[in-house]
Amino acid sequence: MISLALMEVAERRTPERAYRVAGAPALRIVVLDVGLACCALEVGAAITAGLLVPDVAGPGVPKGIDATVLLISGTVTDALAPGVLRAWDAIDGARHAVSFGACANTGGPYWDAPTVTKGIDQLLPVTVYVPGCPPRPEALIAGLLRLVDETATA
Amino acid sequence: MIPDEAHGVIGLQPSACTSCMICVRECPTWCIELESHTEEVSEPGARRPKTINVLDAFRIDFGLCMYCGICVDLCPFDALAWSPGFDHAASSAGGLVHGINELVNWWPATNPSPAD
Repeated sequence: MISLALMEVAERRTPERAYRVAGAPALRIVVLDVGLACCALEVGAAITAGLLVPDVAGPGVPKGIDATVLLISGTVTDALAPGVLRAWDAIDGARHAVSFGACANTGGPYWDAPTVTKGIDQLLPVTVYVPGCPPRPEALIAGLLRLVDETATA
Repeated sequence: MIPDEAHGVIGLQPSACTSCMICVRECPTWCIELESHTEEVSEPGARRPKTINVLDAFRIDFGLCMYCGICVDLCPFDALAWSPGFDHAASSAGGLVHGINELVNWWPATNPSPAD
């Protein structure tokens, strides 16, 4: 089902869920959350805590957005990898991938599993890696702020 | 908002580490790397020199780490401890690997050194 939902997002070529980072009003990024496993719950926690604010402009990249961030939070299995890639390919304009959690970073606890990607960076370029299993919601925000620093100096 | 007992980051006290390898072997994801060598130490009055392990390198790959704390729990010499902190994202997967120099800095200030 997750795979199907991902495909839908990719087909429609619009971010299903867009967020802005609270506490950094100057920050202009839209986060596209690809929640594949338990790490996605931490993204939910970040929203509940008000750290990530759902974008009021609705679907589509709102005006003034510098980059779209694909947040890969969870285990990327071989079955889901094409969905992640299509979501990545569907992003128009500037884009960055954030790897969130041990599974997306390196395969994590599934480092020895034949059907799990050993890090999403094997499939697409990752700008920021957030460690944790899962990382705290605060770590997500810190990672997104780091992304802004990285891209500002690049 | 973040509880004190949260699994933030793992600190190391190298002087307490005996290179026993228990943490390395018990880690579910094998994210710890340890290098050591043995040295002979002669003590006055001893019948023969004793052999001790000397820690050369200790690396934790936080990209693999599950933050389960098994290493912290199992260390017989309390050389590993949790520290608060969450801002350790990196711009490369290799940037998540931290050696002795960083791990020492993450030794919790509230913890007295077990070697003292």
